[in-house]
Amino acid sequence: MLTAHERAVLEAAAARLVPGPDDDPGEAGHPGAREAHAADYIVMLLGALREDPPKVFAGGPFSDRRGGKRNDMARFLPLNDAVKEHWGARLDDLGAAYREGLGQLDALVGGDFAAASPTDQDVALAQNPRVRHLPAGIRGFTDLLFQHTIEGCYGVPEYGGNAGGAMWQSIGFPGDVQPRGYEADEVTNSDGPDPVTATGIVADLLRLVTSTAPQSPSSRRTQSAPGKTSRAG
Amino acid sequence: MVLAEAGYDVVVLEKGDNWFDDVTHAAPRSRFSSDELKAGRHFAKPDPVAEPRTYRWHQSDAAPRHVGAVQDLPQTVGGASVHWDAKTPRFWDIDFRKLSLLGPIDGADVADWPFSYAEIAPLYDEVEDLIGVAGDVDALPAEPTLRHAPRARPLPMPPGPPQLASLVAAEGCRKLEPALHPFLAPMAINSTEYDGRPACNNCGQCSNHGCPILARVGALAALRRAVTAGAEVRERSWVVRVETSGRKATGVSWIDDRGREHRESGDVVVLACLAIETVRLAKLSELPDPHGTIGTHFMQHWFTDGSGIFLGQRLHAHRGRSTTHAADDFADPDFPGARAAAQAAGLPYFRGGTLELGGTQLPLGEANTYRVLLALLRPDKPFGTEFKELMRSSVLRDRMCGIQMIGEDLPYRGNTVDLDPQVKDYRGYPVARITYSPGTHELAAQEFYRPYVAEILRRAGADHVTAVPDAASDATPLAGNDVPTTAHVMGGMRMGTDPAVSATDDVGRFHQLDNLVVADGSVFPTSGAHNPTLTIMATALRNARRWIA
Repeated sequence: MLTAHERAVLEAAAARLVPGPDDDPGEAGHPGAREAHAADYIVMLLGALREDPPKVFAGGPFSDRRGGKRNDMARFLPLNDAVKEHWGARLDDLGAAYREGLGQLDALVGGDFAAASPTDQDVALAQNPRVRHLPAGIRGFTDLLFQHTIEGCYGVPEYGGNAGGAMWQSIGFPGDVQPRGYEADEVTNSDGPDPVTATGIVADLLRLVTSTAPQSPSSRRTQSAPGKTSRAG
Repeated sequence: MVLAEAGYDVVVLEKGDNWFDDVTHAAPRSRFSSDELKAGRHFAKPDPVAEPRTYRWHQSDAAPRHVGAVQDLPQTVGGASVHWDAKTPRFWDIDFRKLSLLGPIDGADVADWPFSYAEIAPLYDEVEDLIGVAGDVDALPAEPTLRHAPRARPLPMPPGPPQLASLVAAEGCRKLEPALHPFLAPMAINSTEYDGRPACNNCGQCSNHGCPILARVGALAALRRAVTAGAEVRERSWVVRVETSGRKATGVSWIDDRGREHRESGDVVVLACLAIETVRLAKLSELPDPHGTIGTHFMQHWFTDGSGIFLGQRLHAHRGRSTTHAADDFADPDFPGARAAAQAAGLPYFRGGTLELGGTQLPLGEANTYRVLLALLRPDKPFGTEFKELMRSSVLRDRMCGIQMIGEDLPYRGNTVDLDPQVKDYRGYPVARITYSPGTHELAAQEFYRPYVAEILRRAGADHVTAVPDAASDATPLAGNDVPTTAHVMGGMRMGTDPAVSATDDVGRFHQLDNLVVADGSVFPTSGAHNPTLTIMATALRNARRWIA
């Protein structure tokens, strides 16, 4: 369980990672982690095994968002003893990582992260402090927190975040659509022009992603010597 | 199914859970759902911490490169085809007679299968009827597809609606030089009501998700027939050892939820655990292996991923059945220029593989991709309003048209599955260790076809394109995923007539015992250049009918 202070740090940190209208002027009109209740998602995750059934796997087959008669997703699934044990150990580690990480954020601003200026909060988060018990593949606490804030923003709402599905709306994603699904014309037809201008971060990302693009085959054909295409295994 | 219907008393011991209400129903209610978080938490799959696998690139590597999820296909009643986007191409004539028709390749062990395309074709027909495949055989290209995999009759259902992104990619294929021959891909997803199951409603969450409405049934169709004929399915029953006495398998030892050990005796033992786990079980059982043929020649396909980004419209590839089109031209060893490029790489020939056209990813996958790339682009502030801008632009999801080439993987003796000498699962059993690197064939084919993959997307009208290896290797250590996520797992108990170079015989019986049979992709002598599941099913069906006779 997180203390009230840890909770405040968690909310403040999540709001820097995925800001909303109150966190960044660039986000006027666009919900973020606060509006999504992403911190609630993380708290639910950390306490998942204290519930019965545990809040690990939402049920199925349907929610009630698109024609389901009841919300099956709201009824979480029972876990067998072995799975419960693994998740218990995993969540114990995660809780330890969070308590240490949230404490590190306080230390990095020299006191109370929740009361620090947004600039100082950003600098602290950018340090991506190392903590113990990080899951495999996660290098620092900010990575961990960002991953979970993402889940708390864009995952199905039954896990505690993405309040009202508003974050899905903000990215033009309809969410889970069973049992209604899509009609044939929705699958096949374009919705019409919907241009985006690639500037700033979007342009930079596209440049990075396409930096690995190979040349066209016709340019390769004009190269002189054979054997340039092979690469030994 | 074959055993139960022939009157055998069958017990199916499934390590995982059962999430279906009643598998004797045509469309049983289940707990599967369109929930990306659930998939990310490894629902119905081996838990990566409790039941890891290890992965390394070379036999000489002392330590693994990765410990955790490796080809973590579902482990649940219904099998791996519970989560599946159900693409069901057939392998080609040259796959079944690869050594005879194409010839050997130095460093690899190209082999013929114990049957030809002509022999397996009626079994393909039967499986397509059993699981319900939708498509139009008249729309399959005469060259190269029908020449190598001819059809005798129509498919049981017509094709479902084409996806916009797949159509866009298909157009790029047609505009390529040389022009390719894209087609609506046959897939085991209902386009109409079929066999008591509903038509698919194109919800778009196929891969990594069970089908909430059972419009896509997979191997459950066979299991239903087995149970109807009297087979018993025991979930959460983990077989840890095949018991033997001389040349006979006498049964199995299995453990329950509490870790208590039980015995089940039998006249026949069938292994169908997924190639990796079948080999692991063979090793844990210390099955006789005088020639060292258990666990060798592991194959998983070597993918190339193309991405085309369209700034003018949203392609909504999340509506549909993952992808709806394919193109087979890169699976042809005689694709223009391919022979010359192979020879330049010191190979007599190579093959790329079939192309899946028009896919994308879901929001959590997209968001995490931006998270990772922001760390490179904005090290001082890899989050914040710029992250939100990327999500709103959706360049890597709603504006994405993806292409994936399923590159054929040659059978190499040095690509193996065995027991990890260090790492154990939560019950103390050594876990499977996969040792795998692509060879000259895979890398040369990838380097030849990668520019074409990008060019298809340019010709399709993408504003930005790239094409990269799906996974890292010595050749491209920073590329793509640490571990291939192909979900195609083959080899390790390869079929053959000579026990010195094969683990199972021409009908999938383990050479060294009289009554142990293997019925999954581990029996494949070669990997083909297509999605393997239909071939896994047809082979299992063909073999079962033969060894039972």
